[in-house]
Amino acid sequence: MGLRDFFKPVPTWSADQVREFLKGQNPAEFNLVDVREPSEYEKEHLPGARHIPLAQLARRIRELDREKPTIAY
Amino acid sequence: MKAYSMAGGIDAWNGFTASGPPEMGMLVFAGTESPEELIALSWALEEGSRRFYAAVAGTLQDKEAGAFFEKLVLAEESHKKTVVQLYGEITGNESSLALSERGDLQDIMEGGVRVSEALEWAQGKEAADILQYAMSLEINAYDLYLKMVKRFEEEPPATIFETLAKEEEVHLNRMAELLGTRT
Repeated sequence: MGLRDFFKPVPTWSADQVREFLKGQNPAEFNLVDVREPSEYEKEHLPGARHIPLAQLARRIRELDREKPTIAY
Repeated sequence: MKAYSMAGGIDAWNGFTASGPPEMGMLVFAGTESPEELIALSWALEEGSRRFYAAVAGTLQDKEAGAFFEKLVLAEESHKKTVVQLYGEITGNESSLALSERGDLQDIMEGGVRVSEALEWAQGKEAADILQYAMSLEINAYDLYLKMVKRFEEEPPATIFETLAKEEEVHLNRMAELLGTRT
């Protein structure tokens, strides 16, 4: 991910689109990222979601495989 | 990188959600846990859940729910065998004994809950209460196995954990059906 990527608009999927996408997908083939605060993640998160708070995302972006689609919420 | 934002966030999600911190159940993926440790943990969780379901199945007045928990006992037993096989492939020691002897993994079940505490809680509870509780445990197992798939990615355990995750999802859907007819 380069600097220019930060200025690209991020497309939005509805929750139904996300559900359809996740159905039947190998969990290793995409990044599902919860960018909320730790307490919010702890209370409730999508199964399998990785937690990277928004404030840490730029620093930890390399933890995500850029070759795979990423869904964030 | 192709990135998508989910409109409405988690509030818009109409499906199962897990709870607990990122490291729940496995000190997760700090990167130091060996495959053997993670597989041993899975075996312990399955064994704990088997014990819990076996105990509650026999006490419920609700025969349909009782029969369902009996099926779960068999499912957890099957999961244990799968995990033992995987453990054998990795360590060369296909023995559940090596897994069951780990003192730090005694008395835990899916969701990271102590079996003894769960059984104490379940005393005198209705089927709906236990189904709801079991759903919360299975969701966390589902969450854990999905994370395991990502943890192992291209390595052999990923396929096994993907299978286990799918089976947990089937259990969850069946539990939701049963619960729906009781609440």
